[in-house]
Amino acid sequence: MAENEVKQIISQLEAIKPAQLSQAPQLLSRGKLALLHLNALVPTAQTQTPHLLLACHLLEQGALVSIRLGDTDAFTRYFQQLQPFYSLPPERLGNQVPARTGNQSKVTGLYLLLLLSGGDYAGFHTVLEGLETTRGKEQIEQDQFIQYPVRLEQALMEGSYDKVWSETDKKRVPSEEFEKFSEILINTIRSEIASCSERAYPSLPISNAKNLLFLDSEGAVIQFAQARGWIAKDGRIYFPQQEEELAAAERDVMSSTGVVIENTLGYARKLETIV
Amino acid sequence: MADKMEVDAVNGEKEAETVGPAPDLPPERVIINNFGLIRQAVNAFDSRFTLRALRSTSTLRKSDNFAEAILQGIRTAFPKPNIGPRKVLEDMLPDSVKSAQHQQNGVASGGKEKDGGDDQQLPEIWAYLGVLVQVYLYDAKEYEDGASFSTNFVEKIRSWNRRTLDPIGAKAYFYYSLFHEQLLPLPPSKQSPVIEIRPKLLAALRSAVLRKDNDTQAAVTVLLLRNYISTADITQADLLVAQTQFPNNATNNQVCRYLYYLGRIRAIQLSYTQAHEHLESATRKSPTNGPAVGFYQQATKLLIVVELLMGDIPDRSLFRQPSLETALYPYFKLVQAVRVGDLQAFLKCVGVNEGQFRKDGTYTLILRLRQNVIKTGVRMLSLSYSRISLRDICTRLSIPSEESAEYITAKAIRDGVIEASLDHANGHLVTTPQRDAYSTTEPSEAFHARISALLGMRDECVMSMRYPMDKHKQEIQEAAKARERERELAKEIVEGEGDVGDDDDGGFEGM
Repeated sequence: MAENEVKQIISQLEAIKPAQLSQAPQLLSRGKLALLHLNALVPTAQTQTPHLLLACHLLEQGALVSIRLGDTDAFTRYFQQLQPFYSLPPERLGNQVPARTGNQSKVTGLYLLLLLSGGDYAGFHTVLEGLETTRGKEQIEQDQFIQYPVRLEQALMEGSYDKVWSETDKKRVPSEEFEKFSEILINTIRSEIASCSERAYPSLPISNAKNLLFLDSEGAVIQFAQARGWIAKDGRIYFPQQEEELAAAERDVMSSTGVVIENTLGYARKLETIV
Repeated sequence: MADKMEVDAVNGEKEAETVGPAPDLPPERVIINNFGLIRQAVNAFDSRFTLRALRSTSTLRKSDNFAEAILQGIRTAFPKPNIGPRKVLEDMLPDSVKSAQHQQNGVASGGKEKDGGDDQQLPEIWAYLGVLVQVYLYDAKEYEDGASFSTNFVEKIRSWNRRTLDPIGAKAYFYYSLFHEQLLPLPPSKQSPVIEIRPKLLAALRSAVLRKDNDTQAAVTVLLLRNYISTADITQADLLVAQTQFPNNATNNQVCRYLYYLGRIRAIQLSYTQAHEHLESATRKSPTNGPAVGFYQQATKLLIVVELLMGDIPDRSLFRQPSLETALYPYFKLVQAVRVGDLQAFLKCVGVNEGQFRKDGTYTLILRLRQNVIKTGVRMLSLSYSRISLRDICTRLSIPSEESAEYITAKAIRDGVIEASLDHANGHLVTTPQRDAYSTTEPSEAFHARISALLGMRDECVMSMRYPMDKHKQEIQEAAKARERERELAKEIVEGEGDVGDDDDGGFEGM
């Protein structure tokens, strides 16, 4: 009975329309209850293959729906719950590998992207390392859902922000769930570019800044500049931070006298104990 | 992978030459002599004797009749044929050895019964023989038998709870885990038997900590880390490190391994500075020749990659060491490519040596080097030109577009890789002239770093000095005796003075 209920919920979730998204969480919690009745929410040695598949399916749907709703915490929870299912041997899941990996890499790719957009590079590489060793390189390299965040990370680390910008374009995103992150990513690169520009340019014409920062109009540039405390005058942007930093460096040398004295005293004390 | 674990072996050999029994003794004599050492260890409660006994293992396992020697050892320790402990150990040895040995023993057994005849043999000696059996099974590639034997064996050792058994127990766990690693399916798979032994190792760690059993604690911590890393469960390994404390007085070899795994975890998590620190101490502490050279090579490879990731270039002399030269050749090429910032050469090098890097487990780390290559390239250009157009940067570094080049150089400026500024209107990168380094705090910082490293090394040396147990008590006793004598002397003098008082001072004048 519970089995049928889960099946029903899954098909409802798959066919859900954007307008009804808000009902999805209720459906999901009903589905999880049903899974508990089947003893399949957490895989055990006794759980039967069809039940495992159902549970896996429902959790994946849950993960995708949470992304669409923008609920990243729920998504992370679903991702963690799915992990024990993904580490089961293929024969336990009835060898339906193709059907399974489709959503598996989608969910994993989304998780990678979530880590990336949160700036958690350590977590990103940890997950990636695990994928490379357990699933083999060929599989990873052909997997568009996983390659997408990997490419983005490379471009971000290199500093080729224009590549990130073009990757977030609607046509190049592997599926609609990935689009959710585009905005966060653009904000990330914009602030990265801004902090780079502060150091790299003595001053910058506003029209060029518009292109550099991927902003739509010069008005937006001026707004952005004000938010970061830049000075816009005569059609150029000046960065007051630079001068402040120079002054700070000067002061740094002065304030380091304390450290020098402390160090020298430390050496003296140590020498005393040695000799 | 196996070569990484062999750090122990080399120390064993060195010691065997100097303090151990003469190398030309037949293996069965060595084993029987070791019983003496172990008894001594139990009586004196000093684990050094046990360690000495264990050290001869690496020479023993190379002898041709290792199995026969073990068998003779077993029969000497347990002369009565059908008692439990003897049967358990004997069952693991091949039948051919047993039958051949039987006839020999029949003749010679008369004399042996007397010296070894003790029904209540020490558990340490039984465990020592057990470890030898494990080594034998491992060398004979009997992984299935070895795994099942080891499972019972470690369980038995744990139930004894004797501190003098600890060094042997640590070894037993080591082989226990090694056997399971060899069982199918092999580690990267999520169904590997190594995952099943985790609860047991964790339980062993728990009881080792409670019993203050440092040897087992260190060994099991290292094994668990190895276990987690083999299936790429980096998060779990990280949590283990965070939740446990590695014993301070662990043996050097365990410390080496621990530092190596720690360095690996940190490198994956992008904390390169920490990783570098750990790996550097690991390579410094590890033996650099003999059978353990594999570990040294492995650690050095990882160290090179981490150094590159930090933006440093390893010394050329590192690649000239005879024990490293051939093993590090692919890495040498890699360093060359990164040093000049040649992206094409770098990609080519990675492509050619992919298999090797993958085997060393450094491949994913090396892929991260890409951005460093670009950074170095930018740096080289900025150093050589006072002004260079973005288009030229594109062609030199093979970057697809000028926009990318602009962002990349801007990022390099922000990250402090180069001292320069960008001229957007003309598309130029203008290098700002170098400031005098001696006007900054940099020299004093470098000075301080070196001094503190040396002071730290000295402190470690002082702390690692070993003093014989109870020596100070002897000194106190001697001091007490000396005081006694002094007092007696003083008394005599006082008594003497009485006599002297009667005499005239003439006696003193003579002196």
